[in-house]
Amino acid sequence: MGSGGRTGRDVVVAGAGKTPFGAFADKDLRSLAVAAGTKALENARTGPEAIEAFYLGNFAGPQFTSQNHLAPWISTALGMTGIPSTRFEAACASGGSAFFHAVHAVSAGIYDVVMVAGVEKMTSQPTARVTEILAGAGDSQTEVRAGSTFPSLFAMIARRHMHDFGTRREHLSAVAVKNHENGALNPDAQMRKPITLEQAMNARPIAEPLNLYDCSLISDGAAAVVLCAADRAREFSDKPVKVLGIAQASDFVALDRKEDITTFPALRAAARGAYRMAGVDAVQIEFAELHDCFTIAEIVAMEDLGFVRRGQGGFFSFEGGTRRSGAKPVNASGGLKSKGHPVGATGVAQICDVVQQLRCEAGERQLKRHSLGLAQNLGGSGATCVVTILGHD
Amino acid sequence: MRTGTVYTETVVHLAPERFAGDVPYQVIIVSLDGEDPGGSGKVTARVAGERVSIDDRVAEVGSSDGIPIFRKS
Repeated sequence: MGSGGRTGRDVVVAGAGKTPFGAFADKDLRSLAVAAGTKALENARTGPEAIEAFYLGNFAGPQFTSQNHLAPWISTALGMTGIPSTRFEAACASGGSAFFHAVHAVSAGIYDVVMVAGVEKMTSQPTARVTEILAGAGDSQTEVRAGSTFPSLFAMIARRHMHDFGTRREHLSAVAVKNHENGALNPDAQMRKPITLEQAMNARPIAEPLNLYDCSLISDGAAAVVLCAADRAREFSDKPVKVLGIAQASDFVALDRKEDITTFPALRAAARGAYRMAGVDAVQIEFAELHDCFTIAEIVAMEDLGFVRRGQGGFFSFEGGTRRSGAKPVNASGGLKSKGHPVGATGVAQICDVVQQLRCEAGERQLKRHSLGLAQNLGGSGATCVVTILGHD
Repeated sequence: MRTGTVYTETVVHLAPERFAGDVPYQVIIVSLDGEDPGGSGKVTARVAGERVSIDDRVAEVGSSDGIPIFRKS
């Protein structure tokens, strides 16, 4: 199994667990990760002794919390000793990248049972410091020195997308309104508050044209899954979910190195790989969790995944196509915008959210069509992307 | 000094600590005139003087901490 081939063993998600996302002054990074890991083990009806390797997605734990060497710090607290325990960092795609590499190891036959966890503890720092740490996902020698923030990079993408395709302010805001509508129904979401289109359009500017409601949240939280070889799935779950396709791809870190900033080549490459491996196309995908770190990112992802034609993502969203009742429901969880975005946890949390829908356990947010779902996790302004397709056989 | 066309732009209102005193400030990506072998032909820059928009013509007027500064021309 390469970046799109299919030669290894089938892999399933056998257990999934998340903490609520939010600002939790009384919980440190490790206790969050341990809480999610414990839930995933319980969900897989097993204990730490079954886990043969531990994969951690984390973006900036050392900067947010002054703790390095995070993977064994967490896995030993979960009761796992002696096993390989490694942290993966790929900016906001850290969780997705850890998941990608774990799937490969099980598929290749190196391990039968592994855990992937993602965690970030962000709210212990003031917003200006958080902004500085997040900016480190960009190019420190050019864009960061120029005063670019993370929102400003996506603001420049939005500006050019509006210029090239006629995407409008209200299109961006429609994404925020829809994700808040969904998040309001999610008991684990950080911001359970519906917003109006007028509120979303008139919030205070962060980096023009993006305002406060175009930006995802600063969050604490963790998510974890237990993966196993498909032939052992029944030991761990009555509702195993199969990893049908997965691919990761990369691109330049600096936005100004790209020919065209209104599309993410790494996203397109990862999508091609995942579709090819799963043997499905964009039309067949029934629902998706997309990386809406900013409203414009969800719009571009829709286009790069082939859900809509280039330039049509904003129009499609504004017309309701991505709502739970729409033709292509996106971020029924509330997305990063409303659910929260503990950076390193996000990629793993997206997998948990897709699994929840596939298992028909999403409560009020449950979608009618739930047999084939996709998760898309983006790092930086597009330098890493992981696309995963999950479903039943 | 280099010249070019504004490819995209933003005005930053929420800045990292070290730029907090500058807000609001404009950051742009300029499509440079002429050849840029091995590159994208673009550069990230700050703006001096009046605010610029996509497709405006700009000229380099200096630099700060290695970052070029452009002005509307």
